[in-house]
Amino acid sequence: MQGILAALLNSLEIGLLLFVIAVGLNIVFGVLNVINFAHGGLYMLGAYFTYTVVAYLGLPFWPALVLAPLAVAVIAVALERLVLRQVYGRDVSDSLLVTFALLLVIDDAVRVAWGSGIHVVAPPPSLRGTVDLFGITYPVYSFFVMGAALVAMLALWLFFVRTRAGRIVRAAAIDRRMAEGIGIDVPRVITGVFALGAWMAGAAGVVAAPIRAIAPGMGDRVIIDAFIVVVIGGLGSFPGTLLGALVLGLIYGFGGRYLPQINLVLPYLGMALVLLLRPRGLMGKGAA
Amino acid sequence: MHCTRPRIFGTASPGAVRIAAALAACAALLAAAPAAQAQQKPIRFGAIYIMSGSAAAYGQFAKQGIELAADEINKKGGILGRQVEFALEDGQGKVDVAIQAARKLVFQGGADALMGLDSSGVANGLTPIVPELRKPFVITHAASPDVTGKLCNAYTYRVSVNVNQNMGAAAQIAAESGAKRWTTIGPDYAFGHQSWEYFGKYLKQRKPDVELMQEVAFPRFGAEDFVPFINSVMQSKPDGVLISLWGGDLVNFVRQAKNLGFFEQKYQVLLTLGAAVEVLSALGEQMPQGVWAGTRYWFAAHDNPINNAFVQSYLDRFGAPPSYNAEGAYAAMYLYKAAMEKAGSVDGAAVAKALAGMSFDAPNGRLTIRAGDHQAVVGPTWGKLGAFDSKYKVRMLDAMRTFKGEDVTPTVAETGCKL
Repeated sequence: MQGILAALLNSLEIGLLLFVIAVGLNIVFGVLNVINFAHGGLYMLGAYFTYTVVAYLGLPFWPALVLAPLAVAVIAVALERLVLRQVYGRDVSDSLLVTFALLLVIDDAVRVAWGSGIHVVAPPPSLRGTVDLFGITYPVYSFFVMGAALVAMLALWLFFVRTRAGRIVRAAAIDRRMAEGIGIDVPRVITGVFALGAWMAGAAGVVAAPIRAIAPGMGDRVIIDAFIVVVIGGLGSFPGTLLGALVLGLIYGFGGRYLPQINLVLPYLGMALVLLLRPRGLMGKGAA
Repeated sequence: MHCTRPRIFGTASPGAVRIAAALAACAALLAAAPAAQAQQKPIRFGAIYIMSGSAAAYGQFAKQGIELAADEINKKGGILGRQVEFALEDGQGKVDVAIQAARKLVFQGGADALMGLDSSGVANGLTPIVPELRKPFVITHAASPDVTGKLCNAYTYRVSVNVNQNMGAAAQIAAESGAKRWTTIGPDYAFGHQSWEYFGKYLKQRKPDVELMQEVAFPRFGAEDFVPFINSVMQSKPDGVLISLWGGDLVNFVRQAKNLGFFEQKYQVLLTLGAAVEVLSALGEQMPQGVWAGTRYWFAAHDNPINNAFVQSYLDRFGAPPSYNAEGAYAAMYLYKAAMEKAGSVDGAAVAKALAGMSFDAPNGRLTIRAGDHQAVVGPTWGKLGAFDSKYKVRMLDAMRTFKGEDVTPTVAETGCKL
């Protein structure tokens, strides 16, 4: 029983963090129609900026939560204006190639700027240690990860449903030409959405920094997981992303524990199964 | 500086100006070079390490080790009167990439000798194609027993500690600890599984009554989240846990395990590669104290002139003590120097032949490359993680013991190597 509870908590933590990363990827796809490989690089930059804030500037962890995602979003705006803008309206494979190239560039830039070494950031003092819950011991920081992800989720949902800016973004996503027709500055919306997606990736990087090794290539693995989430949940679907992230979280949380022999293939097995039964993902738009 | 002959001379375009400037620079460079160097081509070493991704720190240390050795050798007149230089390729920890890199180094780069490899999986994949390159390959990190076992061949050698040797030492420590029920957490590829297999074999030989538990954890290499595995190991209530995770995985694991109180339990914890400077400097004081940690080479374990000079110049130049990977790469350069001087040439077959049975002085003492399987007879250093040292910026090892190569190296017959 305790084992199952622990696995459940693990799954939730992994899943919710993955949600924050994957939802940014999915929003960008929904509006820009670009599958953004560089998203993993932006997540990595979030973690490295956190390290810079804490280790170089000597500040506590909390300012990083504001500064790092902001810095990532600024970089993203530059990338969108200078690079991505050139491939809109072309075949999806073009944007895939360009964003993959960007991921490699970010990878190497990170190595040049911060070196090849592995870095760590300590959790803030208030979030260290463990709590005992129904007989299991669980790190305080993990609850912070879950809480932060839930807050991000709620804020994003309110933004899209309740605010004017959110409605404009949805309008631009549904019918670009119509949106332009009623006077929406679509290119600006697109830049804003890309920055928002990058902000989410950066924020996930900050939250992950105190529990993960900050090292070159840390974005490559995450982007694969984020893709699996999006494929399982459905491209362009917000609730689908949550569902996909939770499914993958459960696969990792329980698979690592109860099916260690096949835990390597489980995520791909899950993805293949979904693709076979529901090619557009669990909550993807349109009929299969 | 890359000096190539421009193919096209145009009118005075900016391109032509650039070419002219480059030519002038090349001419100046050639004029400045000593006559001896201009006459004889330098000896080229080709190295393959992981230079990107989460294990890039290991490649970086190896590169620095080669750099240091090459500069030292060049300052003292080179090898056979020729200067040495090296080319480095990023093997990315992938077999296909490493094989391509090896071919490129030899066929395009004109490498006279090869070295490197950080991953057992890559070493197992690359070793069978080494003979077709006709250049010797000295492995300096990858620990797969197979490359000096059932996959051994005339051109492949290893100067560093392998899984057999490290697990022989780990089993000795485990046997002395009195812990009865053992389990493991290791990466889900050859290295993690073989570490557990050999540890179990040697521990059973020493203490037949130990229990090797069925509940073992092999998270995928590069897994970000180890909590599920840590939880399940903690709940299975072992007496001892062998942890063969390394690199970024080990850093991730240690931090997550520490959060869960993993290191405050009653069981013994053996980090088979815990005393890697790459990991120790990343974690600093966050590395748990009092835990057993092994390493293929420990900079503070060998009080001899070669090691003292090596550690000092490494620290001065790179600001960190040399890791085992730096030492492996550094030692390989001197091994090649000895072999090339013995062979009297840099011919691949001749140098390979000279390497077999060769003895030379490495920072960790006088090593012999066994003729029977091409494995260096060398042992690891183990110790308990102790106080943080402000000069080296790593936790040091207490109760340190360096195992003798002869005590932990299986016989050639046992390795399965037939040469």
